[in-house]
Amino acid sequence: MLKGIIFAFIGGACITLQGVANARISQDIGTWQAATITQLTGFIMALLIYLLVRDGDLLGFRKVKPLYLAGGAFGSVIIFSEVTAIQTIGVTFTISALLIAQLCMTFLIDTRGWFGTVKSKMGAPQFIGLALMIAGVLIMKL
Amino acid sequence: MVTGLMLAAFAGVMVALQTIFNNRTDVHMGSWATTTWVLFMGFVASLACSLIFEGSRTFALANMQPWYWFSGLIGVGVVICLVLGVKILGPTFSVSVVLTAQLSFALLFDSLGWLGLEKMPLDWKQIAGVLVIIAGIYIFKFGGKKKAVEIVEAEAAAE
Repeated sequence: MLKGIIFAFIGGACITLQGVANARISQDIGTWQAATITQLTGFIMALLIYLLVRDGDLLGFRKVKPLYLAGGAFGSVIIFSEVTAIQTIGVTFTISALLIAQLCMTFLIDTRGWFGTVKSKMGAPQFIGLALMIAGVLIMKL
Repeated sequence: MVTGLMLAAFAGVMVALQTIFNNRTDVHMGSWATTTWVLFMGFVASLACSLIFEGSRTFALANMQPWYWFSGLIGVGVVICLVLGVKILGPTFSVSVVLTAQLSFALLFDSLGWLGLEKMPLDWKQIAGVLVIIAGIYIFKFGGKKKAVEIVEAEAAAE
């Protein structure tokens, strides 16, 4: 349990660290270049791990819908937008706005049952949660 | 200000879509094959954008610091931590902790001005704002979400 919390916490910290590192690298070599290099080195490392642990099957891609396979390409615009946002409004605002939009979108997908997700109905807790998150951003802007 | 917020929100929408798509890929390929695939696609797309928008400057890497070559490893660390976190805690709890850590570290980075960021003074508004957002995350994640199937069954039972 505690181990799980520690892993999840470090994971979250690393997501933010990655955004900040990308912003730093972008200052020196350009944002698209930074996105290219971080994903290239990440890809090489992931490939090595995959070859080592043999978890899963790369050839399984033949069974996956092309649309889902293309999802990885979003990484480019995600990094570009996040870096540009960090450079203009700072890390806290960027991550806050990003997470709110992310949860709203996930919620929309869940309630509509898009992309084969199990349809779920909107509940009051989700609306209250999102309202609180937006209120939090407004408090920061006071 | 508005442009920055819009870009951040756009990134959030794309992250949500990518998460779903990656899950769909994961079912057939497993987590490391999926991670490898996703990062490869991201690399190709970024390289294409770089060539389109930056042209030959794509390869002007004179300003590279040695550690830039290793920044991609952070992403791999993220995958390892998230996979283990979900395995131990389940998705709801682990994602809540991940989001909490993301926001807490964002505040830390802003207030310390690490890695060449503009240092932003840490004041009570920032801390209060982040705490309210985190509270919102936990209510969102742990507030019971009814599956449509259960609702239909409940309605059928009521009749």
